[in-house]
Amino acid sequence: MVDESFDFAGCLQRVREHDQAASRSLVTALYPQVIRIVRAHLPRRVAEEDLAQDIFLKMFTRLEQYQGNVPFPHWVSRIAVTTCIDQLRAQKRRPEFRWADLPEEQAEMLDHVLSDDREPLPGDALAARELLYKLLDQLKPDDRLVIQLLDLEQKTLVEISGLTGWNQTLIKVRAFRARRKLQKLFQELQQQEKS
Amino acid sequence: MSSFDHQWQRLVALARQARADHDPAVPPGFATRVAARAAALPATGPWAVFERFALRGLLVAAAFGVAAIAFNYSSLQSDQGEDYANADAVGELLELS
Repeated sequence: MVDESFDFAGCLQRVREHDQAASRSLVTALYPQVIRIVRAHLPRRVAEEDLAQDIFLKMFTRLEQYQGNVPFPHWVSRIAVTTCIDQLRAQKRRPEFRWADLPEEQAEMLDHVLSDDREPLPGDALAARELLYKLLDQLKPDDRLVIQLLDLEQKTLVEISGLTGWNQTLIKVRAFRARRKLQKLFQELQQQEKS
Repeated sequence: MSSFDHQWQRLVALARQARADHDPAVPPGFATRVAARAAALPATGPWAVFERFALRGLLVAAAFGVAAIAFNYSSLQSDQGEDYANADAVGELLELS
């Protein structure tokens, strides 16, 4: 992910002295981590490069606030996550999720998941991922982020708390709310499939 | 485990297998563009914030000053005029003598 040997302290010092080459090095070193977060939480219709650029600009703007209490890449991760969630919050309208609107492979995948009728095939993973993101799109941005970090990225409550700044009780509440909404959605889909 | 939990975990486990295979390399020119934009951003920090508010405060104070002079200009002039009109130079001389 992030190059462990990269000298963040030295680079930050040079960035603070307005060294453009150091700024470029910092962006290059952190790009793989930032783009991974952006791709995992990318709001609809937002270009990933634009969002990554916003994150880096925020990073440079807030550089004076960095106290060094946490490793610099962690601090940037938090900026990345909060920027993504701000973008998701800005997109208030969520597209309606209907069985009939799903592409064939996703409808087949959903049918397979709901009915548990066969072992997954190698090509199912991509359709499952697409379907999963459509389901996550139905959740409130904060709930979506929690369930994505918890279930898909398998992060611990402590890690999620570090990334979002939310306390663990709030994270559990959001996870519970998200799962309940997803359960309701699954039930509706099963009814649509039967009808 | 409930039926939903089982279904959800199956879907998540499958989705997890589809690792994002995009190239994480920095797009050409991206770092240069971001560094240049960052350099063009206004300075931040406690003093920068103070300077920004101080400048705004100065502009607002100047605007209030100009407005105050404009609103009171006519009354200031008429007061001065009245002072001259009401002055009784002969009476004052007689009182002194």
